[in-house]
Amino acid sequence: MIIKLEKVQLQTRKSEEAIDITPRVQEIVKTSGVSSGIVNIMTMHTSSGMLVTEGIPCLEEDILTHLAHLCPEDRNYRHRRYLDFDGRLGFNADAHLKSVLGGIACSFPIENGKMVKGSRQTIYFMEYDGPLERTYTVQIMGE
Amino acid sequence: MIDFHTHPVLIREFVSKYPDYERSARDIFGIGNNFQPLETFFLQMDVAHIDRAVLLPIECSRARGVAVSTNDQVSELCGMSDRFIGFASVDPDRQGAVKELEHAIRDLGLHGLKLDPALQDFDSTGNAAMDVYAAAEGLGIPLLIHTGMSWAPGTAIGRGKPVDLEPAIRRFPELNFVLAHFGWPWVWETVALMMKYPNVYADTSGLYYDSPHEFFQFVFREQIPVTIIERSLRNRVVFGSNYPRVEIKNMVRALHSLPLTEGCRELILRENAERLLPKATSQAGVRR
Repeated sequence: MIIKLEKVQLQTRKSEEAIDITPRVQEIVKTSGVSSGIVNIMTMHTSSGMLVTEGIPCLEEDILTHLAHLCPEDRNYRHRRYLDFDGRLGFNADAHLKSVLGGIACSFPIENGKMVKGSRQTIYFMEYDGPLERTYTVQIMGE
Repeated sequence: MIDFHTHPVLIREFVSKYPDYERSARDIFGIGNNFQPLETFFLQMDVAHIDRAVLLPIECSRARGVAVSTNDQVSELCGMSDRFIGFASVDPDRQGAVKELEHAIRDLGLHGLKLDPALQDFDSTGNAAMDVYAAAEGLGIPLLIHTGMSWAPGTAIGRGKPVDLEPAIRRFPELNFVLAHFGWPWVWETVALMMKYPNVYADTSGLYYDSPHEFFQFVFREQIPVTIIERSLRNRVVFGSNYPRVEIKNMVRALHSLPLTEGCRELILRENAERLLPKATSQAGVRR
């Protein structure tokens, strides 16, 4: 049994964006030495997410628009208060809620050393409160 | 657009380079966010449509054991990008403060003075402070001074009363005082000082509860009428975000939510800062 964990840094460039990380994850799987197993991809932040959908710009935009509709910035959030452990106020509840709704992780099987996925499935790192340098994990388990 | 109030306390590249940098951010400035590459700072400015940012150090090593960014660090960052405008900070209660300020302006290429009586723990009305104000006036640089409540741990709120600065404001009419955070909660004191003295400005970097949008709506529409800014103080307010205690984009959006005319916004977001910092904002003053 092989278990490998890689932490990948990603510089986001906008307040909100969907970034295709599929090629990077495929490359990590390919070089892992695991022939049969599973790969799990997870964001390490609570104001970003991980989504799988068809990889076309119109859908990227629709997802962000729909999440913004579900979690508007100007709602009366309890989170808008001074957070003494952070030395600042929290006013990004909308970003946290988008992360909760969209999820923070996804998994794919590995077969013959390759990630198994549908031809249209694309892995997106979802930035909901950027721009920031972010980290996501790619953990591979198998043999 | 110019952001007149940012603190370079979370620059990742400085963590390994300067041994006290992390402790200063966590224990003295009191911020828990992740350190970020310098690139994030520029991207935060980009998404907020901010062209240039004033970087503020705080020389509080006597009072707190370590400075919150040093003049040298600010100068180093300014050398990396002409999008930064560096200010200096000196401790009035330390011998050689005036010489240190002169060195920072003349040799390090910094453009203003930042003081924080609460974090630096000095008497803003004392003789030592007066000597530093006189030096700043002589150098022709503005003074951005903390007023109002401070989030930094261990600081006294009473050190930030705007009206305590009146003797200095009167004694140094050629020195432009920029009162940080609009002096909140003493907003009316700030307004009164600005109305009475032409050398008094304020920055918008106040945010103490709720969201930037809600805070601005309350302070600038209920605590004082927004018409005071639009009609009387439009030439004396500069935009400041207090990044990274708050993202710049949120403060810009909050400012835009106020019912101000386009001309007034342009003054707050650019022209007033340019008037305060003619050398730094003119083409000839841009560091390459």
